[in-house]
Amino acid sequence: MTEEAKKPGAIGIPGILKGLATTARTMAKPTHTAEYPHAQPHLPPRSRGVIALLEENCTSCMLCARECPDWCIYIDSHKETIPATTPGGRERQRNVLDRFAIDFSLCMYCGICIEVCPFDALHWSPEFEYSELDIRDLLHEKDRLGQWMPTVPPPSALDEHSAEAAEIGATTRPGRLVRTTPARPAPTRATPSGQEPPPASGQEPPPPTASEPAPEPGE
Amino acid sequence: MTTTQPTQPTQPTQPTQPTQPAPGSTSRPTPLPMPRVGPATDLAPQPIRVVLNWGRRYSLWVFNFGLACCAIEFIAASMARHDFIRLGVIPFAPGPRQADLMVVSGTVTDKMAPAVRRLYDQMPEPKYVISFGACSNSGGPYWDSYSVTKGVDTIIPVDVYVPGCPPRPESLLQGILKLQEKIAAETLTTKGIRAKYAGHRIASAAEVNRPLVPPPTKAAP
Repeated sequence: MTEEAKKPGAIGIPGILKGLATTARTMAKPTHTAEYPHAQPHLPPRSRGVIALLEENCTSCMLCARECPDWCIYIDSHKETIPATTPGGRERQRNVLDRFAIDFSLCMYCGICIEVCPFDALHWSPEFEYSELDIRDLLHEKDRLGQWMPTVPPPSALDEHSAEAAEIGATTRPGRLVRTTPARPAPTRATPSGQEPPPASGQEPPPPTASEPAPEPGE
Repeated sequence: MTTTQPTQPTQPTQPTQPTQPAPGSTSRPTPLPMPRVGPATDLAPQPIRVVLNWGRRYSLWVFNFGLACCAIEFIAASMARHDFIRLGVIPFAPGPRQADLMVVSGTVTDKMAPAVRRLYDQMPEPKYVISFGACSNSGGPYWDSYSVTKGVDTIIPVDVYVPGCPPRPESLLQGILKLQEKIAAETLTTKGIRAKYAGHRIASAAEVNRPLVPPPTKAAP
């Protein structure tokens, strides 16, 4: 003990006084403990808590499920035929999302699904309070994923002089210009054939039929 | 009636099953004694159970099985900023025999799995397990790996699963709160404890009979 006090580094203050001084300094400082269950943590807006789904934007294109490194996204969909709105029109088909589930026990929170989503149906939400007592409850279906959608923070503000976002510009820009030039005269059938004589029938290759072999690529 | 110890109503070393094999036969699997609760716990009225559960849920000596990066988040949760001693979770248990809660944080490989199981077997009943992070929940990104256990719940019963890769420290705190709610609602019975073991506890005799490892001796210079 006495040897310790006589070390060259010590300046003669007994160790107990130094310790008490440290204690007194620390007592004067406010604590920086985050009182989590009573006070919600202040999370950065880009924190990766959970993946929320905006179901209306999803076209069930399966890009997220195919890009997921863990294969933890499950999508079921079927096609629905929309009858033609005008008489003689074509029937349209569209995808209807039946099931969208993310297995959060597998998810590695890489965000690739959010990056690849072409219609912004997936978003990061900073929510983190979803631990479960059973592993099967960590497979969250689309209704639960949709409940996280209100917790998604708004996108960060653009830079000061940057161009406005494309989707916002599309809404404020005037519509596509309507052509005001007079209507073209209706083309007559005789005009193109009269100006441009057809090639000689002798040089024209005969039209291929199914019985003939395919033409060589050099021709 | 109140003399029942909250943390050790049963000692796994109490022989409830007859004779273990002789130390000579070290390679044969040995059935470990099944845990049981003391008679006072079985007879305790509801107010006493509430008090016992209250004691259990706020003195969880935690034993951290930190196996990968999630252990860093566990350490962050134990440090001054998040400080889970506020919730009654006491870190740095001297060993698994003094711990009530095991937090498996990280990738459990097949090579590590016997050690996890063995240390879990050494913990006294009632014991709780929190699986922290995607890897210990279900293998996570390594669910197709040749060497990773597909979730720590394939080897030990897990009470709370905390999702994340890695989860925030607050997620662990929330998992601890969820575990405390579960402890507050539970009723310890011998049948309930034994149900976690699927009817048997098998260990190799070498694991049971191995003597204490002597401390290292100072190497002579």
